Amino acid sequence: MNRTFVDIAGKRLSFSNLEKDLYPGYGFTKADIIEYYRVVAPFMLPHLADRAATFTRYPEGVGKSYFFEKRCPVHRPAWVKTAEITHGDAEPIRYCLVNDLETLLWAENLASLEIHVPLARAYTPGTPSSMVFDLDPGEGTGLAEAGRVALIIRDLLHNMGLASFIKTSGKKGFHVLVPLNYPDATFDDTKTFAKAVAGIVQKHYPELVTEKMAKQYRIGKIFINWSQNDHSKTMISVYSLRAREEPFVSFPIAWQELVDQLDKGDVESLQITPNEAVRRTESKGDLFQEVLKKKQKLPHV
Amino acid sequence: MAVQGIWSGTISFSLVAIPVRLVTAVEPGRASFHLLHKKDHSRLSRKMFCPTEGIMVPPEEIIRGFEIAPSQYVLMTDEELESVSPERSRTIEILEFIDVREVDPVYFDHPYYLVPAKGGEKAYQLLVEVMSRTNKAGLAKFVLAEREYLVAVISQNDALELITLHYPEEIHDHEDLSPGIDTISSEEEARMVTTIRTMINDFKPEHYANERRKRIMDLVTQKAQNQTPVESPAPVDEAEEGPADLVAALEESMRSMKEHR
Repeated sequence: MNRTFVDIAGKRLSFSNLEKDLYPGYGFTKADIIEYYRVVAPFMLPHLADRAATFTRYPEGVGKSYFFEKRCPVHRPAWVKTAEITHGDAEPIRYCLVNDLETLLWAENLASLEIHVPLARAYTPGTPSSMVFDLDPGEGTGLAEAGRVALIIRDLLHNMGLASFIKTSGKKGFHVLVPLNYPDATFDDTKTFAKAVAGIVQKHYPELVTEKMAKQYRIGKIFINWSQNDHSKTMISVYSLRAREEPFVSFPIAWQELVDQLDKGDVESLQITPNEAVRRTESKGDLFQEVLKKKQKLPHV
Repeated sequence: MAVQGIWSGTISFSLVAIPVRLVTAVEPGRASFHLLHKKDHSRLSRKMFCPTEGIMVPPEEIIRGFEIAPSQYVLMTDEELESVSPERSRTIEILEFIDVREVDPVYFDHPYYLVPAKGGEKAYQLLVEVMSRTNKAGLAKFVLAEREYLVAVISQNDALELITLHYPEEIHDHEDLSPGIDTISSEEEARMVTTIRTMINDFKPEHYANERRKRIMDLVTQKAQNQTPVESPAPVDEAEEGPADLVAALEESMRSMKEHR
């Protein structure tokens, strides 16, 4: 096996198979992936810090067999931070915490194309730092319809005094996040609130939206998945690549850009490639900064 | 101490068979609380909730799924699980005897006592004495509660203890732990030997109390004396929950939003 050794922050990392093309339909090697994550790390790491990471690993590349790794690999280096989390009555699971560049790049050497994290930090697993609406387009719909629903949710929340932020899922939907960042937040509250919002949007826009998870209700509709507001669920992290044919990124979008692209009928331009992601973060910084900072309390829960 | 028997059978090896009972050796030292509803002190119960239908799911509608990929499950019935579960053990069959000092404590999972059952007293006593004198532990496979355990049978304080062991694949690597420094001077070593020698004592865990548990129990006793405990009402079927305020506020917000769109 072809190995390259790199020292980062005094830690020795061994990278293997750097030339392997993990997105063969597009042309994006493991070296490209590691370099992408290295460059976006300053923007991405605050969103990963202290959260129990789940890696979706594609050692043979996208389209090939992959696995979903929750348990932090036993062969991890001693400096990888971990935290134990218990879900219900199950045995506790020891997760990796991607708190620094070396851990992120170590994970990428394992071909962890996607990094998923919960809405709560590992040491306060019952306290979501934000509420999320996962807008998932059913058959026959796409980013444009999901974008319209996102704007409805934004306006509805705005009238309730709540600011929200949007990112692409990197697949075909959007995630709308409502920062909370207060210590009494609970998943019971965020779930109740998100479900009520989904219910009201569905009631007023039945032709556009469903709040039901079953696939048959989702054809031609946008499914507002409120149930992601749960301690046991994870979401694709902002700035993570997706393991699709093309390496699109789950990337923050300014609301105004979404409005403009919907007007122009070019919402597909919001699918952000790694190069575009690097260009955008370098010029605009982290558009999701406020998601970690802004303190907001959900009313009426 | 009231001991709870959880299994009975025989310990055997070669031509020896000793009838024994397995009893729990430890009780978790945690002060445990029940969760009550603040308003009416009802004991709260766990229910399985279906987020898709928004209803509580009865036990007969629950099935296990093994997650092989995000949101992709292989379904498994109780029957199927049972078909691959090991047979309940009737014997603790000792496969080999090993040196007690060879067992790394990191492998120890959960301890039990083995007590002699009727007719086994003498053979039990003999095994206790010989294992103790030779510093040997018996290694056995044993099925408890549908799980197959590797267990160590050891002789301790004139009795047999059974400790379930972790399988090697459950143990984390520790190769990075040793700093690997080989230049330790003999003075440094001698100094540490002296320091440790001044601190040598017999193992008397009773000298150390579980302070947190003690304080909690003292507080419970004190509160029970000073105030009448609350009483939990008889359980009834769950009531409908509805965040009416929230729905009303959202309707209002929706109305004003539609006016301005």
